[in-house]
Amino acid sequence: MISIDARGKACPMPIVLLAKGMRKLASGATLTIQADDRAFPQDIEAWCHKTKNQLVSLADSDGQYAAVIRKA
Amino acid sequence: MNALANVPVVSNADVAERFAELERQLTVLKSHVDDSKQVDRLSLIVFSGSLDRLIAAFVLATGAASSGMEVNLFFTFWGTAALRRNNVSEKKGFIEKMFGWMLPKGSRKLPLSQMNFGGGGGPIMMRHLMQKKGVASVEEMIALSGELGVKINVCTMSMDLLGFKESEIVDYPGLSYCGVAKFLNDASPGKVTMFL
Repeated sequence: MISIDARGKACPMPIVLLAKGMRKLASGATLTIQADDRAFPQDIEAWCHKTKNQLVSLADSDGQYAAVIRKA
Repeated sequence: MNALANVPVVSNADVAERFAELERQLTVLKSHVDDSKQVDRLSLIVFSGSLDRLIAAFVLATGAASSGMEVNLFFTFWGTAALRRNNVSEKKGFIEKMFGWMLPKGSRKLPLSQMNFGGGGGPIMMRHLMQKKGVASVEEMIALSGELGVKINVCTMSMDLLGFKESEIVDYPGLSYCGVAKFLNDASPGKVTMFL
């Protein structure tokens, strides 16, 4: 399982790192990404919608986000 | 009464002729459909040669490429100065030399469009802030763009006008030189086009 740490990185780096990580992932496999960019919750939803990947979960712990994404 | 009396007689030649005409019309219609097909592509005209606008351009470019879009950047006018490399000497005319001296030699020398403070403090402060706040530098984003397949086209007219030679432009994968027709052809079927 791939895990990406994008904490401390501002837009657009979380989704850039995410896109790079997804390339290595097989269809149906999941990936975890941590981020603290304030735009992350909206961006991750939009990114999944645009790229047709599935946002399995998005946790928010006081501005520390963790998302699980399943590759389409 | 003969029921077939009113049915027109159609020869094989007539059928063949009509069929050929329909085929011709279908080809024309198909080409119209192909022309109006939208492509998930972002096209940016990078006109400005200032650091802040370049940041915006490359945030958009890397973000779009990461979201699966094709990205096409068209560098023109002052924007071309951002793609220069430092320390290249070329034979030039007087005014070309003046431009060469006065315009920034590459992304590291770009001014800010606002709060530049004469080029002294502005850009340095901005780069410091960007690092502190986790914003990738323009140079990092240019390298990422290359990795993500963002295309860069440079306007040849601007290059000629400002006296920049191809040998002065940075190495970038697949960088090409073109004119307005190439930009329009690439941008026309795209969904998003912007001028920066």
